[in-house]
Amino acid sequence: MARKMLIDGEVSQPNEEEAHYDFDLFVIGAGSGGVRASRFSASYGAKVGICELPFNPISSEVMGGVGGTCVLRGCVPKKILVYGASFRGEIEDARNYGWEVSEKIDFNWKKLLHKKTEEIVRLNGIYKRLLNNAGVKLYEGEGKIVGPNEVEVTQLDGTKLSYTAKHILISTGGRATRAAIPGQELSITSDEALSLEELPKRAVILGGGYIAVEFASIWNGMGVTVDLFFRKELPLSGFDDEMRAVVARNLESRGINLHPRANLSELIKTEDGIKVITDHGEELIADVVLFATGRSPNTKRLNLEAVGVELDQRGAVKVDEYSRTNIPSIWAVGDVTNRMNLTPVALMEGTCFAKTVFGGQPCKPDHKDVACAVFSIPPLSAVGLSEEQAIEEAHGDVLVFTSTFNPMKNTISGRQEKTIMKLVVDAETDKVLGAFMCGPDAPEIIQGIAVALKCGATKAQFDSTVGIHPSAAEEFVTMRTVTRRVSAGTKPKTNL
Amino acid sequence: MVVVMASSLTVTNTLSSPKLKTIYKKLSIPIPTRLSSRLLPNPKTLSSLSLSPNPEPRTRHRSFAARADSQNGAKPPSHYDFDLFTVGAGSGGVRASRFAANFGASVAVCELPFSTISSETTGGVGGTCVLRGCVPKKLMVYASHYSHEFEESHGFGWKYDVEPKHDWSTLMANKNAELQRLTGIYKNVLKNAGVTLIEGRGKIVDPHTIDVDGKLYSARHILISVGGRPFIPEIPGSEYVIDSDAALDLPSKPEKIAIVGGGYIALEFAGIFNGLTSEVHVFIRQKKVLRGFDEEIRDFVAEQMSLRGIEFHTEESPQAIIKSSDGSLSLKTNKGTAEGFSHVMFATGRRPNTKNLGLETVGVKMTKNGAIEVDEYSCTSVPSIWAVGDVTDRVNLTPVALMEGGALAKTLFQNEPTKPDYRAIPSAVFSQPPIGQVGLTEEQAIQEYGDVDIFTANFRPLKATLSGLPDRVFMKLIVCAKTNKVLGLHMCGEDSPEIVQGFAVAVKAGLTKADFDATVGVHPTAGEEFVTMRTPTRKIRQTAEGKPDSEVKATAGV
Repeated sequence: MARKMLIDGEVSQPNEEEAHYDFDLFVIGAGSGGVRASRFSASYGAKVGICELPFNPISSEVMGGVGGTCVLRGCVPKKILVYGASFRGEIEDARNYGWEVSEKIDFNWKKLLHKKTEEIVRLNGIYKRLLNNAGVKLYEGEGKIVGPNEVEVTQLDGTKLSYTAKHILISTGGRATRAAIPGQELSITSDEALSLEELPKRAVILGGGYIAVEFASIWNGMGVTVDLFFRKELPLSGFDDEMRAVVARNLESRGINLHPRANLSELIKTEDGIKVITDHGEELIADVVLFATGRSPNTKRLNLEAVGVELDQRGAVKVDEYSRTNIPSIWAVGDVTNRMNLTPVALMEGTCFAKTVFGGQPCKPDHKDVACAVFSIPPLSAVGLSEEQAIEEAHGDVLVFTSTFNPMKNTISGRQEKTIMKLVVDAETDKVLGAFMCGPDAPEIIQGIAVALKCGATKAQFDSTVGIHPSAAEEFVTMRTVTRRVSAGTKPKTNL
Repeated sequence: MVVVMASSLTVTNTLSSPKLKTIYKKLSIPIPTRLSSRLLPNPKTLSSLSLSPNPEPRTRHRSFAARADSQNGAKPPSHYDFDLFTVGAGSGGVRASRFAANFGASVAVCELPFSTISSETTGGVGGTCVLRGCVPKKLMVYASHYSHEFEESHGFGWKYDVEPKHDWSTLMANKNAELQRLTGIYKNVLKNAGVTLIEGRGKIVDPHTIDVDGKLYSARHILISVGGRPFIPEIPGSEYVIDSDAALDLPSKPEKIAIVGGGYIALEFAGIFNGLTSEVHVFIRQKKVLRGFDEEIRDFVAEQMSLRGIEFHTEESPQAIIKSSDGSLSLKTNKGTAEGFSHVMFATGRRPNTKNLGLETVGVKMTKNGAIEVDEYSCTSVPSIWAVGDVTDRVNLTPVALMEGGALAKTLFQNEPTKPDYRAIPSAVFSQPPIGQVGLTEEQAIQEYGDVDIFTANFRPLKATLSGLPDRVFMKLIVCAKTNKVLGLHMCGEDSPEIVQGFAVAVKAGLTKADFDATVGVHPTAGEEFVTMRTPTRKIRQTAEGKPDSEVKATAGV
């Protein structure tokens, strides 16, 4: 996020010894990972250049913008829309607290859209200044790799610039992809969904991942009728099964129509809207069809084959533990490597890269116990192993502690929505292996828990911590009774 | 709180009784039902059957020595009606009673009749936390926070035909219905645990006898957990003043209220009434609010509250309250007289409820403030009399009373002498914005450790950039320069209490700044700032003369 960036590094002296290269480091892509790596490298004294495509909220082969996915078409605008959408529930809840709110409440999507765009333009400017203050030279244009130590930047007017660099860092991120079905050109991706001219009345979302779930919540909160289609029994595969079930229940109780084990087979343009045909033969009419069916790394137009940078089957750049590709002078961080596609992870990878290459401290990013959040309404947050993973990986028994409760706010608002918290503990070592929560403030609550978990805190240490009363978070330190004990080697009981 | 209750009920059902039943079954001893265990003068207990899973030598309290010989389910001789008699069914008393009963003790608890306003003759099962503290306060905070949310919502595209108005009576009715529900739940919790509840005022007659409204009960151990009550100093016109009990149950909204006091209760009510659109003036004797809190937090919260419309009057001590002919109240202070208040509230401290308990007659020692003096195991100067919670005036927080009550039950009835642990207790102030904190303040840390590094962040949260409101967030980490341990963590801003809880686990576990740094952030949250503070705001080092020296360092970005 934008706030910490205002303190920044001094311009450092170019390294005389490496003067035969134009730059010590040239970075392609000024998103979270690229900006972080550039700034930190510069602060270690490296001479750094970075290139980025021209600004546009909707990304393409030729459009992007300093700040990258997180700032322009991911975390930040998404969270802004989640805030906007959350007010509907708040307004409903206020009534039993004595607030007389008129039945006629107007939500002005264009106003929010405008303010969101203003904010991301502001952040884009902050990021540019940040690079400038760090002494990083920014070029606008499309970067390509020409040789192991050479990049070419095609500027907007078509002129090409060529630079040599001792190290090249690829941090071009990824882009949303669409499912290949007839009529797919009628659908939109999350990029467009964050920038729609008009708020739809009826939206169909395809996908069960966090992006699909977040947009379902956003649109639902804004009064849009939402139908969510996903292939599995529950959304959010990869997360703890029990938590997935809770999210599904909450989405449904907030009014989202869930279509599990379903896919879309065709989209047809009609006068009334887009006709959506499902693989069960159902037909729906929607104003907008969002495909949240995955993202793929932006590696196609980088000319990587010229120097032989290896890619995996999905097109992601293959790297070693230090984020180095098979070409020793070329490195890659962030979503383009498809390791763990989260902003803070890209930041970590960028930091480690700078330390390793310019800080004289070889440093591997540690992808263990990375906490993450799904900003559904209410949100889900997780750190560590799911119950299923823990059972698979633990040597001995696994203890599961859960707490399901009616949050205090709901006792008066009357909202029927339970909060659930869960700790997964290794019975032998007492170590907390995983922590999960679905309910208001879950992402904020999990952050501190993540510190404890990352450092191997035991259940006893959780128990010895006094609660903050009255909070929801105190449940994490007051779970005294084990909900179930799963013996080593047994498969968890699920119907998923 | 409801949250606590949900899990508490689980504990009652799953932890104790099935375990007990299994043990009884194995030994082919008739299973005493919950009911019979309440009626029988001498229920069989784990300890009395010498079946303790923890076969340690008897504790220094020899809690069951008199009955250690009771075997084979035969009725042992006994001199007491109960193993434990608890006076006061608030957080500490209920916890101690339930746990004691779960460990097999026969337990009774007495409590005054229910009323939202406490007095010598009224109270209610649930105590301060549930009826006149944490719970109703938090419900009022929720209610009052909506006005801020309505304001925020404008910036996110929401518009109201008519601006939302607040109806006081709806809130009071719904709040009181919830309190009634909770006191009922607490009664059930006691009942399900097999604790006998006696309504009335308990008084100690001798080290093993309690008088409840004329009826005498004998007990091996007596627990005093009668809590505390708001204290209003005697000044002219103090009869017109309301305390926090009354403030939580006013018949109508105060139009203009003066709140005297700078502690957490004063600030919480200032936020509540301000959010519910009263005009709020806070009068504090000192220069700053929240004595004892981190200095930067004190400054920050006062500034944020002022921005939301609360007027602070510093260094003003109340001298008199005058009622004018139109019924409005004036507050006379050392600096002048402020007029036109519909209400004057005093949040000027709380005092332990130790009067008329018979403590003097049995020789239970008390401090000057009237708090019961206890040792590390919560034992008073009389070996059979114990005390937990606010009546002991140690750390007056519900979770601490719960900890003390739980520890006491273990000490007395599980052969596990347990001291409550007062290190790194997190706490919150539900002001608006709220505060969360754990560990030492900067001032305490310097005093104790000398060399400390201070990391701070003061930022405008994402929500405020859209809402256009002047809300900010302040966060602070205090790190020991020598050991790298995080000594203190403080935050003021939305969600602070929720955010700080998890960090409290880390601080309690003695984790280092490096451990914080190794943790990846959850993006985009406010909480992630605590794991991304790279550059100390200042490093405080003892100079040769031993005076702290603040060196501001700006090693940027790394």
